[in-house]
Amino acid sequence: MAYNYVVTAHKPTAVNACVTGNFTSPDDLNLIIAKNTRMEIYSVTPEGLRPVKEVGIYGRIAVMELFRPQGENKDLLFVLTARYNAMILEYQQDGETTEIIARAHGNDRIGRPSETGIIGIIDPQCRVIGLRLYDGLFKVIPLERENKELKAFNIRLEELMVIDMQFLHGCATPTVVLVHQDHHGRHVKTYEISLRDKEFQKGPWKQDNVETEACMVIGVPEPYGGAIIIGQESVTYHKGENYIPIAPPVIKQSALTCYGRVDANGSRYLLGDMAGRLFMLLLEREEKMDGSHVVKDLKVELLGETTIAECITYLDNGVVFIGSRFGDSQLVKLNVEPDENGSFVQIMETFVNLGPIVDMCVVDLERQGQGQLVTCSGAYKEGSLRIIRNGIGIHEHASIDLPGIKGIWALKKNSEVFDNLLVMSFVGQSRVLMLSGEEVEETELPGFDGDSQTFVCINITPDQMLQITQRSVRLVSLTDQGLLCEWTIRPEGRNISLASCNTTQAAIAAGSELHYLELAPGKITHVGHTVMEHEIACLDITPLKEGEGRAQLIAVGLWTDISARILRLPSFESLHVEMLGGEIIPRSILMSTFEGLHYLLVALGDGSLFYFSLNPDTGMLSEKKKVTLGTQPTVLRPFRSLSTTNVFACSDRPTVVYSSNHKLVFSNVNLREVNHMCPLNSEGYQDSLALANDSTLMIGTIDEIQKLHIRTIPLGESPRRIAYQEASQTFGVISMRTDISESSGGSGAGPIRPSASTQAQTISSSTGSSVAKPLGISSASGGDMNDFVCGDEQEVHSLLVIDQHTFEALVHPEEAEPKQGRIIVFHYAEGKVTQVGEKEIKGAAYSMAEFNGKLLASINSSVRLFEWTAEKELRLECSNFNSIIALYIKTKGDFVLVGDLMRSLTLLAYKQREGCFEEIARDCNPNWMTSIEILDDDNFLGAENSFNLFTCQKDRDACDAACRGEHYTSPEHSAIRYCSWSCLVAQLPQEFFMFLLEVQNRLAQVIKSVGKIEHSFWRSFHTERKTEPAQGFIDGDLIESYLDLSRDKMQEVVQGLQIDDGSGMKRDATVDDLVKTVEELTRIH
Amino acid sequence: MGDFLKGLPSYNERNFTRFHADSSCRTSLQKPTVYISTRDYPSDQVITTERTNILLRYLHQQWDKKNCGKKRDSTHASLDTADVTSPTKVPRLGSTDDNS
Repeated sequence: MAYNYVVTAHKPTAVNACVTGNFTSPDDLNLIIAKNTRMEIYSVTPEGLRPVKEVGIYGRIAVMELFRPQGENKDLLFVLTARYNAMILEYQQDGETTEIIARAHGNDRIGRPSETGIIGIIDPQCRVIGLRLYDGLFKVIPLERENKELKAFNIRLEELMVIDMQFLHGCATPTVVLVHQDHHGRHVKTYEISLRDKEFQKGPWKQDNVETEACMVIGVPEPYGGAIIIGQESVTYHKGENYIPIAPPVIKQSALTCYGRVDANGSRYLLGDMAGRLFMLLLEREEKMDGSHVVKDLKVELLGETTIAECITYLDNGVVFIGSRFGDSQLVKLNVEPDENGSFVQIMETFVNLGPIVDMCVVDLERQGQGQLVTCSGAYKEGSLRIIRNGIGIHEHASIDLPGIKGIWALKKNSEVFDNLLVMSFVGQSRVLMLSGEEVEETELPGFDGDSQTFVCINITPDQMLQITQRSVRLVSLTDQGLLCEWTIRPEGRNISLASCNTTQAAIAAGSELHYLELAPGKITHVGHTVMEHEIACLDITPLKEGEGRAQLIAVGLWTDISARILRLPSFESLHVEMLGGEIIPRSILMSTFEGLHYLLVALGDGSLFYFSLNPDTGMLSEKKKVTLGTQPTVLRPFRSLSTTNVFACSDRPTVVYSSNHKLVFSNVNLREVNHMCPLNSEGYQDSLALANDSTLMIGTIDEIQKLHIRTIPLGESPRRIAYQEASQTFGVISMRTDISESSGGSGAGPIRPSASTQAQTISSSTGSSVAKPLGISSASGGDMNDFVCGDEQEVHSLLVIDQHTFEALVHPEEAEPKQGRIIVFHYAEGKVTQVGEKEIKGAAYSMAEFNGKLLASINSSVRLFEWTAEKELRLECSNFNSIIALYIKTKGDFVLVGDLMRSLTLLAYKQREGCFEEIARDCNPNWMTSIEILDDDNFLGAENSFNLFTCQKDRDACDAACRGEHYTSPEHSAIRYCSWSCLVAQLPQEFFMFLLEVQNRLAQVIKSVGKIEHSFWRSFHTERKTEPAQGFIDGDLIESYLDLSRDKMQEVVQGLQIDDGSGMKRDATVDDLVKTVEELTRIH
Repeated sequence: MGDFLKGLPSYNERNFTRFHADSSCRTSLQKPTVYISTRDYPSDQVITTERTNILLRYLHQQWDKKNCGKKRDSTHASLDTADVTSPTKVPRLGSTDDNS
């Protein structure tokens, strides 16, 4: 039995549909984006797009349409999943709470999926929804308001191969127009739907033999009516007797794939093509004698270049959202005036998309033990490499050798906006640095005490600063008037041990004594003091309420009893005492507000951190939680980044604490050690951080605060394979591009564009490692033939082995598989890639791997092992022929896991002595593999082409691999190594698995799915042939949503749940137990 | 000059007016909160699919159309010859007749 935990590490980013309308309220203009299994709802505002909600659906979204039935004041959303769950959703807002309720739901599950995909359309007058799910059937869902049951029926569709379908506007009965194909070509037909007879009636018009590549049909609204048919070379308007075809040369270069209507009257449309060009289609009108309007002419205008559009939707005031599957999605503005490049399109914002990921590798470039993932993402002109890093990066801009820094603070001297002083504290002394531009120099400040250690130093006004040292609290003028005011602990000579302050208040600790001071320009007032039970270890008076500037509470950590306490100011009334337990003293305490929630953070001397929810009025602490950040005493320092509060935990493993989705997140920083930090915003170093370790002061900027950080290296063509060679720190990338040769029969027409490697070289300077890739061979060989270059590569010792097999685009249908291929060995040295060997192979090398210092390649139906000889030749050592097509290979030790086109997984063992492969296990289920991975010596993971994941376990006795775990998932990506990131798979011990399974089942009951799709249905192993319940996998996404539940719902889930308390004894679990368990799980990704 | 781009629809003229290019990183930061429902709302309507086979439905319809006129005649006729087997299908009442 396999026990696995699967969780999405990165939510889907590729956009497959988008719509606009008034969904959240009659007055909101919404953009709804479908990203595989998730919908994101945005509102259009003067500032741009405002996120409203993200909604997960238990299914891949195939159709998403907004519509407004008569009598509704806002739009409803129709969603159909790829497994035929239909739902009509309504957004209901009731004060603070929002609900997305299903007005109707249903499900369909017969028939063979259509080859041209699912088509879902809604009648413009909202009388019916039409679905073409299976070839030869058209399903009609009548939208009757009164009936409790929406009785859908199927109509036989004579046209088997329907390319596209739409409803016509302004028809007395719902009327569809469709483009279909038969062996004569493509034709356009219209049908009226007779709801009474449940039959199609002949429609108002039809057109045989339209363009052979006609692929899209658009229903034109009133007053024109009719339809637009889009083809590869032509655009046609058709309305019975009115028939206007045009063939603008500009659209010929690439295929138009999507459209978006601009005007409500249908006079303008946006069109997008595969080359990422955006066009506008205009319908020119003519007024007839009787006052009616008809279409007189069509025009297509090129607007400019955008990302490759999958869907286009017009928002407002010339702003358009372009959703993309192959690249980043974009928000663009259409300008009346073209820019200097003649483009009417201005890109306003881009939304990162990682998909489709075809290959990837994990590297540890900075050798921090933190892997980075480099993916081959996107396709065509949007092809790119993405470097994905877990954690937050700090980019160094300056560093100064300064050992022994005990504290740093940035101040403003006679400056409104920028910091220009940096105060540093050392043992027994303090220093001031002046920042002018990028220069830093030491300076003297009259009245500043440089002969003792500073505990805290801040501006209380732009021309006065407060310095609290070991000896005194000093108010110092920044206009060179020296010391304005000083306060010392009486009796004289006693030292201050700790201090905390804000612009109006200061708290001073000396041993167990606590003093409270109020600050005003030029004045320090001692308000009161108290004696704590034990010596004070840390304290904080950060004001909690934004804009108030004054703290009502003081947080104190004590020695001896290891407690955290909240006292009210100025009375020192004790509000809450929290015993932390253990023997490690608290070293840093901080009150902070994240996303409107108040927290108390307490860092201990051993690098662990407690955090509590803090009530700012009562001072009560609740929901105690603990995380381990490092191993050394930790100092907490707040900073702001992009107008949100974050906390930097300085220790031997520096961490940034921030809040996401109302939960605290702890993200690593790419630095080894930080003892102190302060935010710095000087003229030369804007929005920076000053960070000090034992020896150096460093000034740097921080990445956007998010868990996964993604950097893009655009390639401009589709990347296919990537490999990393650690010895030379180089990446090998193979990319692919199709060039269309315009001249027919032109010989020697060179590549139209240079290969991506030209651009790739520039990357080398930015990453400190070079990118080597073979030149794409793209010579056109007469006619409109395209040459592809693709293949695989793998490193062997210091050699980069790259295979490429070249084949004509005109693949003969009768040729079942490639018959010719080559493996080419390249050597990389001194920035140059030279070919050192070549091997002809009879087939295509689908994948390669390094194996015992040799090269293992899967070539058509065989797995072959090559040796790199002293003569610099690849010599075949042995082969295994037991596959249909061996698509994937993975190695571990002497074992080779082979993923077959349709015969699932096979495990081979390499016999060193005999020099041959032996098949030791095989999964006998027919699975069409898309990716494989070795989990450990006995467990293997496979992904197949219906988006299922399964594991196989090696059966020692039976020489047979049995399929033990099955799970339906929704990867938009085809590479399984990605599972360690985007979709993470972890193995669990059995007991823990059973516990989580119980939690999962309870959560599936408590959390109501949108559209009433059962969780078990969603995660069942589902292919065209069979559906089986999921087993052996825990759905981490569902488990982790526990943290988003309200407290009482958490309690409902935990009711009666038994937990192992570590000693093997079972007891009833509490909400906190489960929160802790789930939070630990979320930290694995 | 893009005259064809003039007069683009505007639903609220203030939308996107305060959009700043430098805020591009800001919005991508602001992820929408995840919607999780724990309340069960019964659907107002359930979508069901008619179970009748399309061919049967078609044959029935054809039959009905064809026999629209005839039916009336046959009912007339049946007044006289009640025991003549009607061409329309009638559910069999006895079940043991043939099996014995």
